[in-house]
Amino acid sequence: MASNLLIARRKIGNSIFVVFCWVGAAIALTFLALILASLVTKGLGGMDLKIFTMDTPAPGSPGGLRNAILGSIMMCALAMVLAVIVGVLAGTWLAEFAGESLYGKVVRFVNDVLLSAPSILIGLFVYTILVRPFHGFSGIAGAVALALLAVPVVTRTTEDVMKLQPAALREAGVALGSPLASTIRRILWRASSTGILTGGLLAFARISGETAPLLFTALNNQFFSWNMTKPTANLPTVIFNYALSAYDDWQRLAWAGAALIAFAVLFVNIIARTLARESRRP
Amino acid sequence: MNAQPQAETYESFVEEIPAGTAKVDIRKLDFFYGKTQALYGISTGFADKQITALIGPSGCGKSTLLRTLNRIYALYPGQRAEGEILFDGRNILTGAEDLAALRARIGMVFQKPTPFPMSIYDNVAYGVRLYERLNKADLDARVEESLRRAALWDEVKDKLNISGLGLSGGQQQRLCVARGVAVRPEVLLLDEPASALDPISTAKLEETLLELKSDHTIVIVTHNLGQAARISDYTGFMYLGRLIEFTSTEQLFTNPRAKRTQDYVTGRFG
Repeated sequence: MASNLLIARRKIGNSIFVVFCWVGAAIALTFLALILASLVTKGLGGMDLKIFTMDTPAPGSPGGLRNAILGSIMMCALAMVLAVIVGVLAGTWLAEFAGESLYGKVVRFVNDVLLSAPSILIGLFVYTILVRPFHGFSGIAGAVALALLAVPVVTRTTEDVMKLQPAALREAGVALGSPLASTIRRILWRASSTGILTGGLLAFARISGETAPLLFTALNNQFFSWNMTKPTANLPTVIFNYALSAYDDWQRLAWAGAALIAFAVLFVNIIARTLARESRRP
Repeated sequence: MNAQPQAETYESFVEEIPAGTAKVDIRKLDFFYGKTQALYGISTGFADKQITALIGPSGCGKSTLLRTLNRIYALYPGQRAEGEILFDGRNILTGAEDLAALRARIGMVFQKPTPFPMSIYDNVAYGVRLYERLNKADLDARVEESLRRAALWDEVKDKLNISGLGLSGGQQQRLCVARGVAVRPEVLLLDEPASALDPISTAKLEETLLELKSDHTIVIVTHNLGQAARISDYTGFMYLGRLIEFTSTEQLFTNPRAKRTQDYVTGRFG
C-alpha cells in the first residue's frame, strides 16, 4: 500500500514539474510573440519604399531611414570584419596553443569578463581612445566599439568549437607532414566552420541593436554619407531619438527601424542555419 | 605511497632482425608522459618492407611506441622520449629533425577513421599538395593510384567530389590509408586500424596492407591476435611498457619463449 502511495505522489510531483516547465516556456514565448506582433503591426505600418530611398526627416516632412541603414550596415560590417579576424585568431590560440598556461587562463578569464561587460562602458572606453583624442565622433569609432562587443563572443565560440574537434583530426593532419599552422587553417577551421559561423552571427545579433556604445562614438548624422571618419547615422540611435519624440511620423519611423533590425537578424539566422545544414550534408 | 612498483624482473626475449634489414632501429627507448614512465628501455628493429605487429594487453605501451616513431607525441608538452630511434641510420629524436618532413616519410593511420572535412579527392590530394607540385593529370593519377592501393577506388570513383565524411566507417578508414600512402611514405604506422571495422572491411584492409608491403615498411598495433598472425612477418609482445618478446610471427605464435607471451597468445590473460 505504501508503495502505491509513493508512486501516486511521484506521479503528482512529476505532473506539477511538467506543468511548471510548460508555464515557463509559455511565458517566454508569449513575450516573444508580443514583441514580434507589436513590431509587425507598428513596424510594417511605417514600412514603405521611402524607408530605403529617403533620409531621416525633420518632423512633419516625408522621410525614410536610408542614411541610418547605410551607416548601420557600414559600421556592423567593419565591426564584424575586425571582430572575426581578432576573435577567430584569439579563439584558435586559446584552443590550440594556450593550454593551461597562466597567460592562457588570464586571457580566457578577461574574455569572459568582456563577454558580459556593459556596452555603455565599451562606448565610454572607445570615446576616450578614439573620439576625444581626434576631436570628433566617427563611424570608425562606432565600428571599433561594436567590434569590442563582438570579439569576446567570436573568441569564446571559436575556442569552444575547436576544442570539440577530436584530437585525432589534428594528429591526422600533422601525421601527414602538414605543419600545425596549415593543419589548423585547412582542416580544423574547416571542420569548425559551422560553429565559428554561428558564433559570428551571434555576435552580429548582439551588436546590431546596440545603442549605448554608439551614442559616445558614432553619434548620429541627419544626412546620407559614406564617410566613416565623421559622425555616422545608425538605426539604433535613430530609433532611440525618434521613439522618444512627440511626433507621430518620427515614432512610425522608429518602429519601422526596429522591425528592420529584427528582420535582418532573423534573416541572417535563417541563412546561417541553412548554410550549416548544407555543410553537414555529406 | 611511492608510485614506482618494486622492481620486478621481466624476462625478455628480443630477437634481432637479420643484419642490414632494419628500416627503423630503436635503442634503449624510454618514454614519459610527464612524470609517468610508459616505455622502459625498448630496443628492437623494424625490417624494411615487412609487416611488424605489436601486440599486448591494453595500456602496455604499443600505441605509445608507435607514436614515438613519427614523433606525433611532440604535439603535447610534457611528453618526451629518451634513447635513440634510427631511421635510415639517423637519430630522429634529436632536435635537428624537421618534424613535418619526417612525418611525410613516416605515415600514420589511426584507430578511428579521421577523414578531413573535404571531398574524397581532396582528402587524398591534401598531403601530396604539401610536398609536390603536380599538374592536374598527375595529381588525378596519384589520387586514383592511392585509392586503388587502398582498395577503395571502385567504390568511390564516381563520387570523388562528395565529402569524405559521407563514406561508411570501413570506407573512411581505407580513405585514410589511401591518404597515407598518397604521399609515398617509406614507413606506415597503423594504430589498431581495424578496431572500428566490421569483418568484411577488416579483411579488405588486411589485403591492402599485404599489398602495400611491397613498397612500405609497416608497423601495426593490433588487439586482434588473428590479424597479427595473418598478416605480419614479425611480432612484438609488450607488457607494462616493456618489450617482452620479439621474433618472427610464426615463432611467437607457435613457440613463444616467454611465459607471459605464451599466456597472452593462448588467451590466458589479456
